[in-house]
Amino acid sequence: MRALAIAATGMSAQQARVEVISNNISNMNTTGYNARRAEFSDLHYQQLARAGSVAASDGTVLPTGIQLGLGVRSSAISMNLAQGALSATGGDLDVALEGAGYLEVTLPSGQTAYTRDGALKRNAEGLIVTADGFAVSPEVTIPDDATSISINAEGEVYGYFADNNEGQLLGQFSVAGFSNAKGLEALGGNLFQETEASGPAIVTTPGLDGMGTLRQGYLEDSSVDVVHEMTELIEAQRGYELNAKVISAVDQMMAATAQVR
Amino acid sequence: MEASGYTTLTRQSGLMRELQIIANNVANISTTGFRQEGLLFSEFIRNMNDGTSLSMASARVHRTSFDQGQLGQTGGQLDVAIEGDGFFLIETPDGERLTRAGSFSPNSVGDLVTMDGLRVLDPGGAPIFIPPNASNISIAPDGTISTEDRLVGQIAIVMPTDPEAMKRETGVMFHAETGFEPLENGRMAQGFLESSNVDPILQMARMIEVQRAYELGQNFLKNEDERVRSALQTFVK
Repeated sequence: MRALAIAATGMSAQQARVEVISNNISNMNTTGYNARRAEFSDLHYQQLARAGSVAASDGTVLPTGIQLGLGVRSSAISMNLAQGALSATGGDLDVALEGAGYLEVTLPSGQTAYTRDGALKRNAEGLIVTADGFAVSPEVTIPDDATSISINAEGEVYGYFADNNEGQLLGQFSVAGFSNAKGLEALGGNLFQETEASGPAIVTTPGLDGMGTLRQGYLEDSSVDVVHEMTELIEAQRGYELNAKVISAVDQMMAATAQVR
Repeated sequence: MEASGYTTLTRQSGLMRELQIIANNVANISTTGFRQEGLLFSEFIRNMNDGTSLSMASARVHRTSFDQGQLGQTGGQLDVAIEGDGFFLIETPDGERLTRAGSFSPNSVGDLVTMDGLRVLDPGGAPIFIPPNASNISIAPDGTISTEDRLVGQIAIVMPTDPEAMKRETGVMFHAETGFEPLENGRMAQGFLESSNVDPILQMARMIEVQRAYELGQNFLKNEDERVRSALQTFVK
């Protein structure tokens, strides 16, 4: 009764899909979130009669043979790297990345992580940090007496002071790009870290080498398309039900088998 | 010889096998590029010694449906779906394989790979290199990949010489043992993925049919059992 096990793989695949969808929907307002999609692939095939094997003594060969598929598996949960919409916040430390790339963040452990969440703050020492308090690298410190700051598209941070109407360069942000940004490992808290699959980070100036530019006063919205997620949810739910139907059909056939004699 | 039981049995085991195929189709209802399959029963005739013949049902032929699946928009730059005939060419450790699942991405060294990490090949059979930091990748209907300023490569579309003889492999791949050739006018669409072509209505209808046919067979076996038993009792008396 392999059909039972096959239908069960189908149900767990649809369940994984619902989990991905629910994570997307719950992150529909998360700054810089990239929608994920569950990808599936068929499982192994059992060869019952090989195509091309001899079917009769006169040399007739089987044209197609019999291969029984054993169900489905999750092959990947991939990120959709499409740009999210930019919404104006007016915050002087809110920066949105327009185009590819990630901001570099130094975790308390000294490890480097990457994020597209540009809702930056300053900490007690004036250092520019993420909303979770991790320092953005390269580090930029804003003096206490700065009246305003401006960040340009190339990531240069200028401070303005009461006694001088010309801006003073305080530092410059860099952006990191990857050969395969889909291969980054999500750490939670809008952070990613590089992996074997993503390739090493290519750190450069915003706007160079195909990287995106920074935009002050904006934040990148989540790229989750709720309408799309809802239709996916309906599909996943119906897919789950269809697999459950198969299980009940197998069950009834087994009952019919058991009833003989 | 009591052949009626065995004849029914051939049908029953074929039906079991068919249900397994339906279960596999339904399990893969959301698998990108999956092709649904069906089972054909054929008559297997055995010549009896007394001049009559015995006909059995044998499920020996598998048919894969190569109908177009729906194209679903994903917006992914490296998601491509083939419209019409043809397959993508993939390099695996066991040789070249064909697939309709076009969810690609560059790997850590920049080669275009499938979700399982297998390289996608160009018409010359070479891997396709996507330069890192290429931002605006566009893929033409013939598979030509270009960035803003230059041509990067071409994704091959091939056609097996004998589609029916292809062997299925895990990862929505097909092994074309009889070979394949480039398809002249293959077309692909960027930003789309081809859904599985499993037709749920067809599968459910077929499943009910299989289930009822199976019950019919079991009933027949039951009646046959009773018939033999009552015959035995009559003779023994």
